[in-house]
Amino acid sequence: MAVITDAICSLCGSLCDDITVTVEDNVITDVERACILGRNKFVGMFLHDRIESPMIRKNGELVDVSYEEAIDEAAKILVNSKRTLSYGWCSTSCEAISKAIQLAEETGSLIDSTANVCHGPSALAVQEKGGPSATLGVVKNRADVMIFWGCNPAHAHPRHMRRYSSFSKGFFTQKGRKDRKMIVIDVRKTDTAKIADQYVEIDQGSDYLLVTALRSAINGHEDVIPDTVAGVSKEDILKLANTLKEAKFTCVFYGMGVTQSRSKYKNGDGVSSLISDLNQHSKAVMIGMRGHYNVTGYGQVSTWETGYPMAVDFTRGAPYYNPGETGANDVLTRGDVDAAIISAADAGAHFPQDSLKYLAKIPVIQIDPYANPTTELSDVVFPAAVVGVEAEGTAYRMDGISLRMKKLIDTKFKTDEEIVVDLINKVRELKRGA
Amino acid sequence: MSELLIKNAVVCDPINNINCVKMDISIKDGKIVESVSSGAKVIDAGGKLTMAGGVDGHTHCAGKINVGRFMSPHDMRMTNVPGLSGKEAPTATTRAQVGYNTPNAFAIGYRYAKLGYTTIGEAAIPIIGARHTHEEFEAIPILDKFGLTLFGSNWQVMEYIRDDEPEKLAAYVAWGLKASRGYGIKIVNPGGGEAWGWGKNVSGLDDPVPNFDVTPAQIITALAETNEKLNLPHSIHLHCNNLGKPGNYETTIASMKLLENLKTSRDRQAMHVTHVQFNAYAGTSWRDFESGAPQVANYVNSADHLTFDLGQVIFGPAMTMTADGPVEYANSRMLHAKWSNMDVELEDASGVVPITYSPKMFVNAVQWAIGLELALLVDDPWKVMFTTDSPNGGSFVNYPEAYTYLMSAKRRTEVIEGLPEMALGRMNLPGIDRELDLYELAIMTRAMQSKIYSMDTKGHLGVGADADIAIYDLKPDSIDTTVEYAAVKKAFSSTAYTIKGGEVVVKDGEIAMTPEGRTYWVNAKVPQANTDAMQVDLAQKFKRYYTVNQANYMVEDAYLPHPVEITTEAL
Amino acid sequence: MQTVTLSLKEKNAVPIEADSVNTDNFASKPKDEIGAILVWYGNAQVAVDDLFDVVVDGFGSVDEMKIIINGDVSRVKRIGQGMSAGEIEINSNVDMHCGSNMTGGKITINGDADSWVGCEMKGGEIVVNGNGGYYVGGGYRGEACGMKGGKITVTGNVRDYLGEHMCGGEIVVKGNAGLLPGISNNGGSIIIEGNTTMPASEMMKGTIIIKGTVLDFLPSFTEDGTEDVDGVTYRKFAGDINAGGKGVLLIK
Repeated sequence: MAVITDAICSLCGSLCDDITVTVEDNVITDVERACILGRNKFVGMFLHDRIESPMIRKNGELVDVSYEEAIDEAAKILVNSKRTLSYGWCSTSCEAISKAIQLAEETGSLIDSTANVCHGPSALAVQEKGGPSATLGVVKNRADVMIFWGCNPAHAHPRHMRRYSSFSKGFFTQKGRKDRKMIVIDVRKTDTAKIADQYVEIDQGSDYLLVTALRSAINGHEDVIPDTVAGVSKEDILKLANTLKEAKFTCVFYGMGVTQSRSKYKNGDGVSSLISDLNQHSKAVMIGMRGHYNVTGYGQVSTWETGYPMAVDFTRGAPYYNPGETGANDVLTRGDVDAAIISAADAGAHFPQDSLKYLAKIPVIQIDPYANPTTELSDVVFPAAVVGVEAEGTAYRMDGISLRMKKLIDTKFKTDEEIVVDLINKVRELKRGA
Repeated sequence: MSELLIKNAVVCDPINNINCVKMDISIKDGKIVESVSSGAKVIDAGGKLTMAGGVDGHTHCAGKINVGRFMSPHDMRMTNVPGLSGKEAPTATTRAQVGYNTPNAFAIGYRYAKLGYTTIGEAAIPIIGARHTHEEFEAIPILDKFGLTLFGSNWQVMEYIRDDEPEKLAAYVAWGLKASRGYGIKIVNPGGGEAWGWGKNVSGLDDPVPNFDVTPAQIITALAETNEKLNLPHSIHLHCNNLGKPGNYETTIASMKLLENLKTSRDRQAMHVTHVQFNAYAGTSWRDFESGAPQVANYVNSADHLTFDLGQVIFGPAMTMTADGPVEYANSRMLHAKWSNMDVELEDASGVVPITYSPKMFVNAVQWAIGLELALLVDDPWKVMFTTDSPNGGSFVNYPEAYTYLMSAKRRTEVIEGLPEMALGRMNLPGIDRELDLYELAIMTRAMQSKIYSMDTKGHLGVGADADIAIYDLKPDSIDTTVEYAAVKKAFSSTAYTIKGGEVVVKDGEIAMTPEGRTYWVNAKVPQANTDAMQVDLAQKFKRYYTVNQANYMVEDAYLPHPVEITTEAL
Repeated sequence: MQTVTLSLKEKNAVPIEADSVNTDNFASKPKDEIGAILVWYGNAQVAVDDLFDVVVDGFGSVDEMKIIINGDVSRVKRIGQGMSAGEIEINSNVDMHCGSNMTGGKITINGDADSWVGCEMKGGEIVVNGNGGYYVGGGYRGEACGMKGGKITVTGNVRDYLGEHMCGGEIVVKGNAGLLPGISNNGGSIIIEGNTTMPASEMMKGTIIIKGTVLDFLPSFTEDGTEDVDGVTYRKFAGDINAGGKGVLLIK
């Protein structure tokens, strides 16, 4: 029996690094301190069916083949493609992401991450206005006001509030929750809202209106605010603005309620401007509540390797970036690619119907530990090790802090990184006869 | 056993007092040696200028630059070069390149190598973010790297200074260098990063840091003493308080004076003051703003305990990035520019804001002149490191352009003619006729770095040095660098050969191969008892205030695939 | 006068990127040279005449140049990108970036134009006899300026972010516009004859006139009397005050 301390939970963007894992006979038998979601990842992995063998679809059925045959088939798809979509890469290590980007470059493909369906608009907002942010520990130690806007950590990031935000105790916040005012802005009273000091319910899709009104209030233009904005009374808006101005340190945590509702990235853009305005009066920062445990890492690696955080198109050689044109769902709904490779993400479960219909028409390569709806659409399937449990590597927390995930148990499966490297070599061989 | 012989090189190697002398250079197994066998591969330099590979001792190349990239798709549209892609790849050697001020990691390696630079130093590593810095280091091809670790607004540092615990302070700094795999102590706007945690700043050397009861002056002095106690290869590396503010030259000189009497543990400076252009402003507001370079240069000429670098401005788009959080916020409000910020728990702050330096803008024109004035008014080139604080003053790809300003009064006059009249009255450059020669340029771009970073194998071409060599397509005996500045710029923009560790990495301006570079870091040994005592305090920091466990905080060996560990013994 | 007629031979599998299909590049070239010009088809380059039937009539400089494009080019991007003079007529829906960065000349699209039509254009004219997509006359990601000069007319509707970051020039939309038209306008002139939502946010300079209904008027403008334009009286607003803007927004 082995007890591994300081293990990192590779489930959500909180990337808790205080987990104790007990391993007996190469099986995780106990997990301490993880939330229910994290626990399910560690312990639950032994309950799910793994993809046991490489597979190729023959006569409509996925059949087991040798690894070499699958590599050969996948490389042929990539080399013969005029434009491949490479998608996912957020529940894997930065090392694998780096190789996936190289494969995309080698094959003149387009590569995008799961940010396409969650926090991609946050990146666009940063590109408009910048991202005034901080590490989570700054919030823990300083924030006396925190806003959860369009996010529900009580469900999506269960330990966030205890470790980093509402309930955490820090240097200037020794009393924890008592030292903080917790505000939730959302369209429905979530479980997070239920434990807040203040809940501001807004009309669906009206985030941008509320941001604008708050900015007007903070910048001293109360007179232009009508009686009600976004379903919120002027009086409440002015009160909220005043709370923010008088705070010592405000953090706005924002989620998909902000990034995926009407006005999308312009909401984040507006919040960024709000933060800048607020810093004229006090201190304020914003942090996106990222979902997949390494979607932040994808953005980091992609940025230093290609210059852009997602939706990078190598079709013409040099990286090109234009979400709305080069995002995974942009090209799928328009039928702008003729093959796809999907890894460490489940497009089958999360993409809109139009995208899935098109995926069903083109050759799809999947790399994943588990069979999932994407498998049903795939023509070549590679089983992979579970990164963060069966393979080590780097991941980035939602605030951009990187941590090294440990290998907790042994596996017979290859890692995403190893599979992609084999694909690169095979593609090179086919391209250059090397 | 690889051997290489460079024949007919006109060598400019100030460390060895060689001033453009024709000679041969022998290389074996990546090092410069006395001689090689007759079987050695031969490169005929044909009388071309040959220098040690350049060393950029202060650049932003890994870590914070990614924040700059992330927010700058407009910059990425510039200077694109395709890489491995397509059915017939344009190259099998190089990856795709994008960006100008914030190029991708591959482009950083290729472009520095083409300029004849072979070693670069990242100017700021937050300890908790160091893993990221090293990931990017690993992605930068060809070059050797090192980075300076931020200590100037660190809680543990400030508490030990306040509580007068010099032994624990030394133990903490040694631990911090190890945790971050850093090469030296960087201090940015001492205390200002902590004040920025509340949206505030410190106003000068004697303004106490909120809640910590120490002053910036105390932070500088104590860290400088620690630096010598640890016997570190580099001195403290100081970004002064009040950066970017008119009248700040006084703070800069006062900061320099703090360490006049510091006894150094090694034969090097007691302090390095960085990007002084941004800290040599006179006047009281942007209206009466003028150059404070003469005052700073006068002081530097009278002192013998310090070196500095320029932070030269290049006209055109640039990207400011610094651990000086309050400065970046102020920039963004003044320029109406996008603003990224990253406060770092218990340690520091940072910000990134784009800027464009226009020769038509009076302030920018004076800034441009100040950098050059500092270089030309300080008599001893061994005190001056050439930098643009890339990309703060401008991208490093513009270094050759800046060399021409330093080497040719004629070139300067041409630029000055295009500047606004108002700017001319606020600068001293038009009256300066000094023109640097190739020897002095070699000092400022590689030789002085060898000394200030105590890197015996870098920045020169003596026996035992790393075979990092730049051969420029320029013949020193047949060029007047004060007149033929276009030829100078062309030659320095793209080497005939860049040799890194004995391998030809650039030939005729094209990347020939892309070996992986090494990473230098300092393992400063202190008495175990001091470390143990320090760890008791540090454990509390991790238990109560950090959001990362100590076990996951230290950069693991996996992130330095090619480490060069420099071990020092505390005095 | 030189007229070149391109007809797409068959429907393309992935988008064609045809930034080389513009008047400057075609002018004074014979048929075989025009046919040999390369366009991107996926991750490879192919000749124009592999994809299009090419008919060349006459011979002339760019000022006397007209390109007529037939067939379904709804998945051909970047036609007319960067052109400086002459004329392009597209008798189909057209894909993204048509006329982006153009500096002169005229493009007529007899169909719908997909997103980024006239993006960052500096001069010339684009007429869309149909609907426009997102970012008509806008700027690319992270840029400070979209359209700087010239004129875009869309007879139908457009989607969101019309004229984003515009720094000059003129856009007229006869139909409705989606969300946030004229956002971050810094000197452009926009007329929307139909309805729209949240116009003129963060406007610094320029003029935006909405003839139809405005939904979700943003609380960041100061009312400043009325103004008559072409005999119609509008309520006049100044802002965006949060951006310190001095733009003019006229609504009914």
